[in-house]
Amino acid sequence: MAGIGGTSTRASPAADPSSSHFALVAARRSRGREGILLGEIAMSPMTAAAGILLAFTTSGAIRGAADKGVKASPAEQKIAWAQQAIEKNPSRHQSYNELAMALARRARETSDVSFYAQADAALEKSFQLAPDNLEGEKVRTWVLLGKHEFAKARELARALNKRTPDDVLIYGFLADANIELGSYDEAEEAAQWMLDIRPGNVPGLTRAAYLRELFGDIDGSIELMNSAYQQTQPAETEDRAWILTQIAHLHILTGKLADAEKLLQQALTLFPGYHYALGNLAQVRIAQRQYSKAVELLRQRYEGAPHVENLYALAEALERSGNLGEAKAAYREFERRACKEIAWADNANRELIFYYADHARQPERALRIARLEAGRRRDVHTLDAYAWALYASGRFAEARRQIESALAVGVRDSKLFYRAGAIALKSRDRLAAARYFKQSLDLNPRSESAGVARKALLRLEQQASTRSRAGAHSS
Amino acid sequence: MKNRRSTPAPIVGLAVLISQAALAANHREAPITALDHKADITDVYAFVSYGPRQAPNEPPSKVTMILSVDPFLEPANGPTLFPFDPDILYEIKVDNDHDAIADVTFRFRFSSEYQLPTVYTAVAGIGDQGAFQPGTDILVVPPQIRDFNNPGLNLRQTYTVTMVKNGVETPIVNNDGSPFFTVPANAGPRTMDYAALFRAGTYSNLCTTGISVFAGTTDDAFWIDLGAAFDTANFRTLGSGVPGVLTDEEDEPIYVRARNFASDTVSGYGVNSIAIEVPIELLTRTGAIEPPGSPDATIGVWGSTSRPRVTVRRSPNPSQSRGPWRQVQRMGNPLINELLVGIGSKDRFSMDQPANDSQFADFFLDPPIVHIVEALYAGALSVPSAPRLDLLPLVTYAPPIASPDTPPGPIADLLRLNTGVPATPFEQASRLGLIGGDHAGYPNGRRVFDDVTDITLRVGVGGVLIPDFNHFPNNRLGDGVNVNDAEYRTSFPFLADCPNGRNRRHIDPGEPGGGPIQ
Repeated sequence: MAGIGGTSTRASPAADPSSSHFALVAARRSRGREGILLGEIAMSPMTAAAGILLAFTTSGAIRGAADKGVKASPAEQKIAWAQQAIEKNPSRHQSYNELAMALARRARETSDVSFYAQADAALEKSFQLAPDNLEGEKVRTWVLLGKHEFAKARELARALNKRTPDDVLIYGFLADANIELGSYDEAEEAAQWMLDIRPGNVPGLTRAAYLRELFGDIDGSIELMNSAYQQTQPAETEDRAWILTQIAHLHILTGKLADAEKLLQQALTLFPGYHYALGNLAQVRIAQRQYSKAVELLRQRYEGAPHVENLYALAEALERSGNLGEAKAAYREFERRACKEIAWADNANRELIFYYADHARQPERALRIARLEAGRRRDVHTLDAYAWALYASGRFAEARRQIESALAVGVRDSKLFYRAGAIALKSRDRLAAARYFKQSLDLNPRSESAGVARKALLRLEQQASTRSRAGAHSS
Repeated sequence: MKNRRSTPAPIVGLAVLISQAALAANHREAPITALDHKADITDVYAFVSYGPRQAPNEPPSKVTMILSVDPFLEPANGPTLFPFDPDILYEIKVDNDHDAIADVTFRFRFSSEYQLPTVYTAVAGIGDQGAFQPGTDILVVPPQIRDFNNPGLNLRQTYTVTMVKNGVETPIVNNDGSPFFTVPANAGPRTMDYAALFRAGTYSNLCTTGISVFAGTTDDAFWIDLGAAFDTANFRTLGSGVPGVLTDEEDEPIYVRARNFASDTVSGYGVNSIAIEVPIELLTRTGAIEPPGSPDATIGVWGSTSRPRVTVRRSPNPSQSRGPWRQVQRMGNPLINELLVGIGSKDRFSMDQPANDSQFADFFLDPPIVHIVEALYAGALSVPSAPRLDLLPLVTYAPPIASPDTPPGPIADLLRLNTGVPATPFEQASRLGLIGGDHAGYPNGRRVFDDVTDITLRVGVGGVLIPDFNHFPNNRLGDGVNVNDAEYRTSFPFLADCPNGRNRRHIDPGEPGGGPIQ
């Protein structure tokens, strides 16, 4: 979903087979920097061993928290249960699967990707005990999605689907991977199977809702998300908070800020400090021109979920709030860290493209990264960023092709419409430009792009009027 | 020692087999239908129609197709009884050009109404005049229900029938324009004259098309010893001394002479049945009655149930989904999904189209259940090895059902019927169908009295279509239930009366007609 939690689109839907509703689309952005909570852990062969240790450490911490009366999150509880089951019977492979799944869910709760490394380690143990066991393979797919290894996840999900075509969750994995890779037809087919095989299942509803959003049916998306919310157990507080946040995001898309804020406050009550909700509430504040409040929210989010694209959103808000010195430092830190990740599957390339195109005035660097990313995936948001990098580099015709490919999916997003308008203008297609600017304003007159879109539209209208008068005069 | 090892093996082997075959009537065979009884197809039948005075080799003229749904209806189970679900689209489909895609489809939709909404039960009735509040002329209980206009038929259902052919929808309507009514479950003799309702609910030879239709709660035409099957396949020991293997006497093939040696667990239960009888010319590709040797004589029939679906794309957005209905179940042969398809694929099978069945080909031509049985028999029962090409007539257009020059088409679960083969007179018909020497019986179509359990055991596991495997005990496999508990009609819709709720009888082991307990 574009922009939930900022400009990031590194959605990585996944689900929890251990949960009764084995959940929702998962980590909209479930990446975190492990340094904050658990110390820097590289993705290396050492990770597996470290992960197991960390899993036990985490479990111990959870038990300690429970002893002190601190309420554990749903994922923390599941981690503790799985650890106890492993201690009782270390040769039961399913317990390691359950631990891995709980760790993956914890990654979403916290946005800390080190949990994925721990999940991988637990899975390794599971596969030692029972090679190729289906539940383990499903968790592995979930984790691959969480790590943004979308192509690998799709390949595995396809094989699992052939093996067990009745498994609803595997269709969910297929939908997730295909959405991220931009294969929307295959994603839709998979999501439709989810709805058909088990009507009303929550993971199917949330995925179908996301596709509806991508296809431009925002009201329809809200309808399905509401159904998903009603069917989610109250005890699943993070799941419920996640759904509330998604509905709020859909309201933000159409400028319904009061509705969005109400839902986000509910989400934060259900799951205090929830990083997705903080990011969306910051968007509400930005739309309300309350930049300082947005900065505070994004700062809070970054403290809890210190990954690099969250820093970019914070830097933008700082700039808007007039705190230029801190904004500059944040941008610099963002660039330094994001550049390290360019070649990783899990990266901040989208933000980096916009940074180079809009802030650093280095369009060729933006374009280089955009081409790299577009070679990996062709989803709406990657195409949007690619188009913008082409635009910034003066390659307007190609920019037009890319942005129109993105819009052909059906997505309705005021920022995309604005960028399509700007690109059309440079392509000397004033009619298309005016149409796109108008679509942007009609959809959300309070979006971040509304001011520039309005000015551009006004200018076009004035020019048209001038030409009309000149034509009348000459005739 | 060898005997001691081999003797129990067949028991277990057949047990496993039968426990699967028990599902051959499709009672809750897949997870999704176990959760949705109303949409659960129990059986599909298709056969050349016959009559009470049928002569041998009488040229075929019509085909009857029956779709039964909603299993194990206990007719005493009021007060709402068992209406068809107005939210379900019931369909019977026919492929006539060997591509496993429907060329002729019959759609059935139901509507419900309450004639006496304040009355507590779906049906009520007594006597010729009904019952009055004492000392008044206020009617309290309506007269016995003998027709569909009696207000005692409180929950009254009507239905529509539409034939879709070449994309053209043709409503099938009653001769006088009145609606088609469904026949309710038989609550009991005080409440209704079920036989009269059955007659009134049989709409024969509708003008312009010659089609006949029927829908209602009837006897479940299927029979089997389910109780033994689900007690971890604890089948009765009959005359042969080997459970699941019949003696010649127990294996009487002629249906009207056969009797039961084990209990029919489905006895006394009803099922919701939709039946349609159609002139053959409306079904074949050529629009003519084809001789049995013609490739165009053989059609493929299957039934399906579908519910409205939530689609990813809402109307009026262009939808890439397959329309507004999601198929809950489909069925052609009585054994495919139950006996052959793996548990992790059953829902996908139920919800996919027959034309896509190649994805299940491994299940069809190398059924895992056969290997299990072979292992359990420890060599006492020899079975054919994979690939089971002898099973191709069930999943392609192939001899001995279709003529040799018929295009085989894709692998697909369709009930294949050679419409050119004359019906066998009922008195001479074999419950064992084709393997009993009766060319008009299963797997050439399926009649209501075809013993698909025994046939499936012998063909699917025993491999008796291969001459080398057509020997004892392969050709004597059976559960000991050989006939239905109720008397079938010998004209459309060929089904028996729904047992009456007050006096219905479920025949148990140890009772007369129920076979031994052991």
